Amino acid sequence: MIEATSTATQPRRAARPALEQGRLTWGGLVLMACAVLIYLFLYLPIAILVLFSFTRDQFGVRWTGFTLDWYTRLFANERLMGATVNTLYVALVSTIVATVLGTLLAMALERYRFRGRNSVDTLIYLPIVIPEIVMAVALLAFSALAFDLIRLLTGETLRRSLTTVIIGHIAFSVSFVVVVVRTSLKNFDRRLEEAAADLGANSWNIFWRVTFPLILPGIIGGALLAFTLSLDDFIISLFLSGPGTSLLPVEVYNKVRRAVTPEINAISTLMLALSITLVVLSQSVQRRQ
Amino acid sequence: MDNRSLIGLALALTLVLLAACGGGTASPGNEYGGGGAPQTTDMPAGGVDRNRLSRELYFYNWSDYINPELLAQFEAEYGVRVIVDTYDSNEDMIAKLRAGNSGYDLVVPSDYAVTIMAAEKLAASLDKNLLPNLVHLDPDLLNQPFDPDNAISAPYFYGITGIAYNVKSFPEGIDTWSAVFDTSAIAAYRGKLSMLDDERETPGAALRYLGHSLNETDPAILRQVEELLIAQKPYLAAYNSADVNRKLASEEYVIAHAWSGSALQARNGLEGEFAGNPDIRFVIPEEGGMIWMDNLVVVANSPGSYTAHVFINFLLDPEVAARNAEWTGYLTPNQDALPLLSEDLQALYAEGFAPDDEVRQRLEWAVRNEQTAVFTDLWTVVKGR
Amino acid sequence: MTLNALERERQRRERRTLAALLTPGLLWLILFFALPLVIILVYSFMTNGPRGNIVWQFTLGNYVDLFTRSIYFNAYLRSIWISVLTTVICLVLGYPLALFIVRQPPRWRTVLLFLVLIPFWTNFLVRIYAWQIILANNGLINSALRSLGLPPLTLLNTEGATLLGLVYGELPFMVLPIYAALDRFDFTLMEAAADLGASKRRAFWRVMLPMTMPGVAAGSVLVFIPTIGQFVVSELLGGAKVDYLGNLIQRLFLRSNPPNWPLGSAMAMAMMLVLLALILIYFRTTTEEDR
Repeated sequence: MIEATSTATQPRRAARPALEQGRLTWGGLVLMACAVLIYLFLYLPIAILVLFSFTRDQFGVRWTGFTLDWYTRLFANERLMGATVNTLYVALVSTIVATVLGTLLAMALERYRFRGRNSVDTLIYLPIVIPEIVMAVALLAFSALAFDLIRLLTGETLRRSLTTVIIGHIAFSVSFVVVVVRTSLKNFDRRLEEAAADLGANSWNIFWRVTFPLILPGIIGGALLAFTLSLDDFIISLFLSGPGTSLLPVEVYNKVRRAVTPEINAISTLMLALSITLVVLSQSVQRRQ
Repeated sequence: MDNRSLIGLALALTLVLLAACGGGTASPGNEYGGGGAPQTTDMPAGGVDRNRLSRELYFYNWSDYINPELLAQFEAEYGVRVIVDTYDSNEDMIAKLRAGNSGYDLVVPSDYAVTIMAAEKLAASLDKNLLPNLVHLDPDLLNQPFDPDNAISAPYFYGITGIAYNVKSFPEGIDTWSAVFDTSAIAAYRGKLSMLDDERETPGAALRYLGHSLNETDPAILRQVEELLIAQKPYLAAYNSADVNRKLASEEYVIAHAWSGSALQARNGLEGEFAGNPDIRFVIPEEGGMIWMDNLVVVANSPGSYTAHVFINFLLDPEVAARNAEWTGYLTPNQDALPLLSEDLQALYAEGFAPDDEVRQRLEWAVRNEQTAVFTDLWTVVKGR
Repeated sequence: MTLNALERERQRRERRTLAALLTPGLLWLILFFALPLVIILVYSFMTNGPRGNIVWQFTLGNYVDLFTRSIYFNAYLRSIWISVLTTVICLVLGYPLALFIVRQPPRWRTVLLFLVLIPFWTNFLVRIYAWQIILANNGLINSALRSLGLPPLTLLNTEGATLLGLVYGELPFMVLPIYAALDRFDFTLMEAAADLGASKRRAFWRVMLPMTMPGVAAGSVLVFIPTIGQFVVSELLGGAKVDYLGNLIQRLFLRSNPPNWPLGSAMAMAMMLVLLALILIYFRTTTEEDR
């Protein structure tokens, strides 16, 4: 998906290969060395995590031989499997909604001058600034009030559920999407849009044909952030989830604070494998197009 | 210019969002029943009216605090699926109940939290006619000040707080709190010592070491406690009340301020989670330690109140309680369950993992009232250095 | 139609588009963020009850406590300090990484970007836990040292370990916005600078860095802020020995007896206001330069 953008901006970069070749001698090498080291830093704990999902050691902290036991146990663990499905569902839905809402807001803030713009700006940064626990408590108290109100008005008794968790996740991830998408819009060359308008394109077409592809890296970046945040959040999930709808981060938090079993390593490894597969698939699909 | 489609899209989106907020309706089976008044039922002891059982029971419990086999057994016997969610502190749980509509039927507050639940009307009265198995409980542990007539709570597990250590590092044994507070002694195991991350437990231990009640709030004495804890801090690996069990077992720590249950788990291992370490010992130092108890409480207005009673009675059955105690490592208040415990566990109890009559004299309950709120400040000062 | 009418028509259309862009997101934020926040604001002026319940009695005491007692103030300073360190380290690591990625052929760029993110799709706590395995007394590093006959090091439960965990956890939040900014950066400008006789270093400081400043600013904000409110890393890697602001707030809400939601709320409010002011000033200034 990111590739689409790159081709769109390719002409500007026509001169780059030459530049890069010149640099590959020194600066480029240093840069590459830095990058390799940083990737190692990022993947060291991950490698350990994956490795120890196959260890026989009960603590999951040393290598004492190969086993697939933890995976068998994991699949038999309804609770953990259910929590995983719930977590992916929440992350997916909240990412989609937050990305759409955030992109629209970013466009409005970056493109228009209007009264109250500063207040909107402030409102958007608040969810980033607020400590998670405070937001969780606020949403919990709010859900109680809202449920009472709804019961009073409609007689319907609502209860916290995955929906409340999704609402909470969207409320904080919208802001992250806005911040990232705005960086894309900031350096945006508006003459491209004007040129399209001069050629008679309507605003709908201009958006989809010109603006959207150019800010797509920002949108994807924002969406990925939202997805990551949702996967990791546990305080808001803990407070807003209803009975019997456990989420993986909450389960893991309880486990990590008590005793992590290699089962947790196993589920993490599977999630990792799943995300890598998805990335590879989307890449190969794009290449074919 | 075709702005209309853009507006249409935005409107549609808004509608979808609003519709999404309307979701999450409670299933009709979970409508609220009567108030929190005690339900008195004339039921032959042990008889269970299956028609009154709900299909599911929502149990909000500490993690690793029930033998999962018992849940399966209860479902097999009564056809009720027990859905367990876990929490990490009494305050987590109370916050959720306070907000209302929690959906939980049964919770496990510690002693002081029972008082809070009673005062906030978060608990339903227990119908003792439905709990014939109450007779099996140790009378010493019933009618505690936090719930004088056991009107709302039934003891689930209790525990004591002392020192767990690795006998390889302390072949002489340990019998005093100076083993964790005397800086000349603890320098030898710097970085392998942990204290509980708890604003009452750790100052409480220091208070007992200094010869005071762990409920002492005299400012001058608390100043001494503060100094003691700050002096101790550089030698600590961590303040840890989470995975002390595992870190003792893996010998990451050689000595730790710990609950008897987690010390026992370090010794025996936790089934399916980690292996035990035979060198782990537990002691209540001669200066004394803390005793506390977790209790089964039915949530006010719970739709599954009857089912919750049946489940409590099931857990109070001596044979069930024994199997639960074997699995969790915590101490059962069920005196008729004690003879049913495995010989191994009974031997461990005798070794010090459970209090005998002599040790009981040295145990003290933590009182929580407006005066003891000063411990929050004390703890903040200690953590601030 | 007069020109004037046309202009008015254009303005009306623009207003409608703006409304369409703003409404859904704003509605969501107001309903599910601003309103709940008002509750916390109200709490911060209330009195704490003996059982940690909210007593509906107005007081300024929480704010007074906050600004007059050094134990709270120190937690602020400590949190700000570690957040600054984390942000700077993330920037120093993140910028070269983003630059490296952007300079690869498009096909590789996507892959490399995903490689930065993939570790973050495993649970945060599990990753932090993996660091425990690496750094512990009997952990991987110390086992390796021991087998080489070297003395073991105390790595876990130190402030260094906390810092490491924070950098590890926040790095992608720095890389993504910088990448987005670099992606829009016209690299031919660097050539132009070189043609004009500027050294590479000079070209970087004078051209590339200023032009990618929005990304750097966004990344810094995304890293700095969550770090201030964190409490898990200092608990799991720092041994819970030192309180940061997040630990304090978390404890006031969920661990102390009785909990003190009003004070915790006031603490959060004060922190948010200060941070917000900083962010808005920062963004205002960078935006001015930008245009």
